[in-house]
Amino acid sequence: MSYFAQALINGVALGGMYTILVLGFSVIWGVMGVINLAHGEFVMVGAYLAWMASDFWDVDPFVSAPVVFCVMVLFGYLVQRLLVNRIINRSSLVSLLVMFGVSIILQSVMKVSFSADFRLANTDLDGAWRLADRLTIPVTRFWVLVVAVGVTVALSLFLGRSRLGKSIRAAAQNREAARIVGVDIDKVYAVTFALCIGLTGVAGALISPLLAVQPFQGPPLTLKAFAITAMAGLGSVRGALGGAMVLGLVEAMLALYVDRIGTNLAVVASFVLLVAALVLRPQGIFKGLRHVDATST
Amino acid sequence: MRREAAGDPGSRERAAGRTVGATALAALVVLVVLPLLPGTSNATLLTLTLMLTSIGVAINWNLTGGFTGYVDFGHAVWFGIGAYAAAILISLQSNGPQVGWHPVPAIVVGALVAGVLAAAIGRVTMRLKGPYFSIAMLGTFVAVREIVRVWSPLTGGGVGLTLPPYLNRELFYYLELALVVVLAAFTWWLRHTRFGAALVAIREDEVGAETRGIDTTRFKTAVFSFAGLSTGLFGALWAYQNTFVDPDIAFVEVRTIDAVMGTMLGGLGTVAGPILGATVLYWLRELLWANLLDYHLLTQGVLLIVIVLFVPRGLVGLFDRRGASLLELWGWKGRSRGLRQSSAAGGEVEAAS
Amino acid sequence: MTALLEARGVVKRFGGLTAVGGVDISVAAGEMVGLVGPNGSGKTTLFDCLSRVQPVDAGLIRFGGVDITGLRAHDVARLGMSRTFQIIRVYRDLSVAENMHLSIQWGALGVPELFARTDAATRCRADELLDLLLLGRLRHERAGNLSGGQRRLLEIGMSLMSEPRLVLLDEATSGVNPTLVADIADRIRAVNSEQQVAFLLVEHNVQFVADLCERVVVLDQGAVLAEGTPGEIMRDPSVIEAYFGDPGEGARDQNRVPSDPGAPDERVGEGSLHRSLAGSGDAADPDAGREEPVS
Repeated sequence: MSYFAQALINGVALGGMYTILVLGFSVIWGVMGVINLAHGEFVMVGAYLAWMASDFWDVDPFVSAPVVFCVMVLFGYLVQRLLVNRIINRSSLVSLLVMFGVSIILQSVMKVSFSADFRLANTDLDGAWRLADRLTIPVTRFWVLVVAVGVTVALSLFLGRSRLGKSIRAAAQNREAARIVGVDIDKVYAVTFALCIGLTGVAGALISPLLAVQPFQGPPLTLKAFAITAMAGLGSVRGALGGAMVLGLVEAMLALYVDRIGTNLAVVASFVLLVAALVLRPQGIFKGLRHVDATST
Repeated sequence: MRREAAGDPGSRERAAGRTVGATALAALVVLVVLPLLPGTSNATLLTLTLMLTSIGVAINWNLTGGFTGYVDFGHAVWFGIGAYAAAILISLQSNGPQVGWHPVPAIVVGALVAGVLAAAIGRVTMRLKGPYFSIAMLGTFVAVREIVRVWSPLTGGGVGLTLPPYLNRELFYYLELALVVVLAAFTWWLRHTRFGAALVAIREDEVGAETRGIDTTRFKTAVFSFAGLSTGLFGALWAYQNTFVDPDIAFVEVRTIDAVMGTMLGGLGTVAGPILGATVLYWLRELLWANLLDYHLLTQGVLLIVIVLFVPRGLVGLFDRRGASLLELWGWKGRSRGLRQSSAAGGEVEAAS
Repeated sequence: MTALLEARGVVKRFGGLTAVGGVDISVAAGEMVGLVGPNGSGKTTLFDCLSRVQPVDAGLIRFGGVDITGLRAHDVARLGMSRTFQIIRVYRDLSVAENMHLSIQWGALGVPELFARTDAATRCRADELLDLLLLGRLRHERAGNLSGGQRRLLEIGMSLMSEPRLVLLDEATSGVNPTLVADIADRIRAVNSEQQVAFLLVEHNVQFVADLCERVVVLDQGAVLAEGTPGEIMRDPSVIEAYFGDPGEGARDQNRVPSDPGAPDERVGEGSLHRSLAGSGDAADPDAGREEPVS
């Protein structure tokens, strides 16, 4: 029983991590229709920034996260101006390939700069709280979960209440109509992308004490972000939280009941979940910002 | 509406076709004669063999990605499966199942295993369209690699499997040369059959093709399985030549990237495109990137972006007007500058969202 | 006479919206039937159900004595039912001739024919049909370069290539030059009388329907509202009611709001029945050739 309870805790904690990992990806896809195949690499860059702060100046990732956010917003803005602008409204193949190009460029730059060694940032919020015999809460993950829920609520409020947020949603629903009623689409896209990359960088910073920071950590993260988003509905903030929790719990339960399963096989699990979800329910489970239909006939 | 301008395009295309044919023939003669020259080392032969492998995989990728319009981001999985299936059957390594087959049946069975798995997996993933299919295949790739890594009683796990050495480079070289030639001829023939045309119809409009009597599910799964089988064959041959497999060298993303990039560079959905593109890409890497090893991925990424944004119709597109433009796949049709012709009479409204 | 196509109680829902709610419709061999109705009445959705592009939620569809309710679209096509689409579907990157060659009776092909080039007979038939539809000169043109009206003609040609027993034509005249509309009507009549091909036509151009069809079915809000000869239909008060609703509704025509792209049914040619009934004889629809937003 306590094993099960522990798996439950682990699953929710993992879900928190996935939530913050997926939000940026989901909103970019939902609003701009661009599948950011370099998502995992933006996470990786954020993680490297936090690791540098931790390693060089001994700054806790939870403290450096806002700075990472600002840096990544700038970076995101640059990438948007330089590249993403050119691929919006092009076929999804074009945007997939261009973003894939970005992903291998970032991998390469990071490998050249920092080598392929595995790094971990240090945080003071570590260790575990003991609830009972063999039942603990991992502290770092707990705080990641807290931040994730906070960010989800904030993003939800921002999209739902603020003027800019409403423009973003309008642009996602119907670009032309939004343009006609005076929404500056280019600005909306630039802001959305920059903001989402900022968020993605924060996700990287927060997981830098948990997941080995290395140049090639990105692709599995992108894959999971894709799986969760496709299941949860594009650009749906609440859906992202729900989908991330489902994936986290599935992985934690698998780790509990299946022998010898590592985090690697969790990729298999999320993939099977993804294909099953898409084939069975092509329009997603939650209502997203953008209508989708993943099957061909 | 703009009609065919600039003389008779048919004759121009035929002339271009003759040029391409003559070039191909010359290249083939060089490739056949090269190993017979005294100065050719085993290392050169190996390089050429790997180039042929790269071309072969690109041709296969183009069958689904270019003709049928299903862009497979995990195509290297069939290479890895073929390699592993053959290696498992051949290897006598103590950490494997020690089957100890003769290489010839093992390589054939390796390719068949890849083909059968491609049929099974394609049956499910090809129900998805566009980016969903692409990412599902990327997921398949990552998932299969992890399964191979974990399933150590069969695969030797992360340690990999060693095969008995067999180093007749020339035999493999000619074998793969023959394979590539046959495959290229096959693609050319296939494109001109009704089946090949139906594949293009699926790419152009799957619902339309289905309502006009084309069994789209069967056709696209068939070609996908064939591509898997054929790439699996190249994988099995590679495994035997390499005399060693482990999950990280048998399942390499770069193999997919090369196939995609080579095809893009040459011309998506054309017969000559993947051959031309994969060759150019291979030599770019050999000559240029060998000297800047660290920046290999960087330059590849930049090149990919440049190709996609600025040469969407590929090298072949410079000659042949009828290759499918990458821009016009997946529903976003008719906006590429070269092909878009305003049809004043139709007053069509193109909406994209 | 036994019906060639017979549908009983066809129901199709999209989420909470019932697009087609229990429609019965039948077409006899060689018959010409018109299917009219205001926007959103479920005409195109019904076509999608009949041709098996959409699965039905309830009902039974029989074609040529075979229950096709559970079959897939290509099976139905192979049984001899072909169709055109309101939002034109041609293979845009292929030539006009190739489009025709790809619309053959696939069910008749064995494996050797499947892996052979298009034969002379097919080419011949395609050329004849293209000439008939005034597209002969354009046979080597890329289909995507054709005008909206020409693409409609091409699609009609494609639907006839497979020598079908029944053709479902969805808005065959919208976007087509008015002078060509009469030609299309002639061709359809010729194909009908010479080859005994039955037609089911979705049309906004009521004059066109009245000229061609001996029987018209009126659909409103997913149900059959009326059925009869064209004359009876045009005098039927409930039909007029359905088209015009309350008196102010006719004004919608002028300042029409762009309809929701996700909506399952028509959005072109609204009000042309109105115009036709009013005697303006307007046949061409300015909105033709509009493309569906890609999802």
